[in-house]
Amino acid sequence: MSLRITQKSLTLTTSKNLQVNLSEMQRLQDQLSSGKLISKPSDSPTGTVSALKLRADLRRGEQLERNANDSIAWLSAADSTMFEGLSVFSRVRNLALQGMNASSGPEAREALAVEIEGLREHMIGVANTKHLGRPLFGGTTGTDQAFDPNGTYIGDDGAIERTVMDGLTVQVNVTGEQVFGTNGSNVFDVLTDIVDSLRNDPSALNANLEALDERAVAFRSAHAQVGARYNQVEAMRERTESARLNSKNALAEVESIDLPATIMELKLQEVAYQAALSATARVIQPSLLDFLR
Amino acid sequence: MGTFDGLNVGLSALYAQRRAIDVTGQNIANVNTDGYSRQRVNTVADAGPSTPALFSRADGTGRGVRSVDVIRTRDDFLETRAHQEHASSAYLGQLQTVMGRIELGFAEPSDIGLAAQMADFWAGWDDVGLNPSDPAARSQLLERATTLASGFQQLDSTLAGLGASSVEQLQATIAEVNATAGRIAELNGTIRTAVSSGLSPNDLMDQRDLLVLQLSDQVGATARPGADGAIDVYVGAMAIVRSSSVEELAVEVTADAVTGEPQVDVVWKDDRLDATVGGRSKALIETHNVIIPDQRDAIAGVADELRAVVNGVHMAGYDEAGVGGIEFFVGVAGQLTVNSDIVDNPSLIAASGVPGGKVDGGNARKMAEQIGPDTSYRDVVVQLGVESQTITRRTQMQQTITDQLDAERESVSGVNIDEEMTNLVAFQHAYSAAARFVTTVDEMLDTLIRMV
Repeated sequence: MSLRITQKSLTLTTSKNLQVNLSEMQRLQDQLSSGKLISKPSDSPTGTVSALKLRADLRRGEQLERNANDSIAWLSAADSTMFEGLSVFSRVRNLALQGMNASSGPEAREALAVEIEGLREHMIGVANTKHLGRPLFGGTTGTDQAFDPNGTYIGDDGAIERTVMDGLTVQVNVTGEQVFGTNGSNVFDVLTDIVDSLRNDPSALNANLEALDERAVAFRSAHAQVGARYNQVEAMRERTESARLNSKNALAEVESIDLPATIMELKLQEVAYQAALSATARVIQPSLLDFLR
Repeated sequence: MGTFDGLNVGLSALYAQRRAIDVTGQNIANVNTDGYSRQRVNTVADAGPSTPALFSRADGTGRGVRSVDVIRTRDDFLETRAHQEHASSAYLGQLQTVMGRIELGFAEPSDIGLAAQMADFWAGWDDVGLNPSDPAARSQLLERATTLASGFQQLDSTLAGLGASSVEQLQATIAEVNATAGRIAELNGTIRTAVSSGLSPNDLMDQRDLLVLQLSDQVGATARPGADGAIDVYVGAMAIVRSSSVEELAVEVTADAVTGEPQVDVVWKDDRLDATVGGRSKALIETHNVIIPDQRDAIAGVADELRAVVNGVHMAGYDEAGVGGIEFFVGVAGQLTVNSDIVDNPSLIAASGVPGGKVDGGNARKMAEQIGPDTSYRDVVVQLGVESQTITRRTQMQQTITDQLDAERESVSGVNIDEEMTNLVAFQHAYSAAARFVTTVDEMLDTLIRMV
């Protein structure tokens, strides 16, 4: 059956078609002005789930990077502090060797002892170095310092850990005991022994030096551990960064418009709309009335 | 045939053509009137007396023309289908609107929706983990937790608001339906009187059909022809309008027998029996009774999971003083809040994984790794997206069907100006010719009279 066309149905269909054209224009302009392909879940449910997942990944990535940066700050603070401590070891060793020399008299040894006492104070200062208000080598202690003025460890053996990748935590601190030795035989005790021997019993200095070397080895290995962790965190940070970049690109692919394609589409739509408008202007105009007398 | 009968024949032609011209004028006048059906004058040739009689002079020639009645051109089958399709269109259209509003409430995907707030919340835990002794990190976490909790509250109340407004809309719709049914009943009365006195109240019938179509949109009404030009209008299996009487509808809110949740329904005002409504009302009822509760349940599920996960981890940790963690979130979905004790005293945040007042962030770190609630929330959003997309597609399909049907109805009943103009020319010529005929008869009689 062929439809009988009336002026009203013509007007209705035409305005409906114009409406369709115009709403398509609006959709494209929305996309262009917002830059987003998906503005609500029903635009693309699968795209939405990807977008949500990628956004979550992005935020998690940012946080992991922050964690890594914080770890690096901790580790590099430990690294430079321990570097300072290393020089104390070599200086003390030199002084003790001077004391062992048969030519040095009691006055000279006393002078050496005083210098080593000074170095010991300095070492306690190093051991109590703070990072962000917390003692670097104090573990998870709530106290202000890792060692008391006598050189006794008052921190704990708690590990400060950071998540630098999902499922991977890194310990960013080394405890005072790991670095300086356990109470009773720690660096400060060894230094006290050396001072004692210099003053009273130079013959014991040999054994003291051995103890000092032992502590120096432990100190260096703790230092090396810090360096190794630093490198590990640095590598993780780079991986997180590149993963975040990937997520960002993927999100743009899922969510953002293809600008040239959308502009082309809009142009085409404009042409279609104008064509529809001018066609409408012509179609609506004439009726038999125009031709009767 | 009598001497003067010719004049009568001419006169009947003049009458008939003038009537036809009048009706054409009426058609043209209503070319843009909603629901108007074009009208035609039915004419028949007046056959004259055909009964043989003693002194009958009838010679078999007719006595001119008679206009029998004026009919409106419409296809009842199409009208019935229009009622059904319009009801479906209105139903789906309303559902689409609601789904669109729900999607707006979720505001996903974006940097401000619940997903983003949740991610910020987890990141806040990580910051506390980095610096457990820093009060600033703790306050930031509390701020984010409060934002997240109020995000859940807000979404829930937005949804609840949509449910409540659908009841208001339903009440307004039903009030309108009752008024419209009253108008139809009135028109039925007028039309019956007109028909029984031999008139053709076409224009009143058009008005009435338009009102019935409105009822189809609103409650899915259908119409059946009754006696004397009246119609009966049905909602479900019951008549809302029977001839001139109206059965009114009412909105009833009851508590569900199992859950105690309010359920809205449309009932007959007199006997309070359920009315099987369709169209927009059906969509409004579904919105309030099914769609909104489902969405609220889904969101409540996510909130419950969040509370359980966060509290579980939190209570396994230790606060700044080294005491075991307390509940972090309290309250169900709509009223999810951060435990006020913690808000008052941020040091109660159990960031530490070891007892005894250590500056440890182990538990906070563990918290930051939780992803369960995020996944559940994404599922809810995607489910909503799929449902909304389905409704949108169904609406578009239904709209195409309805539009096409409307076009067919317009094609049958609509006024075409070209056609009317052609008819007008034809009727005008017929009128001129009839006038000419009268002149001819007049001249004939003149000739006859002058012979005497």
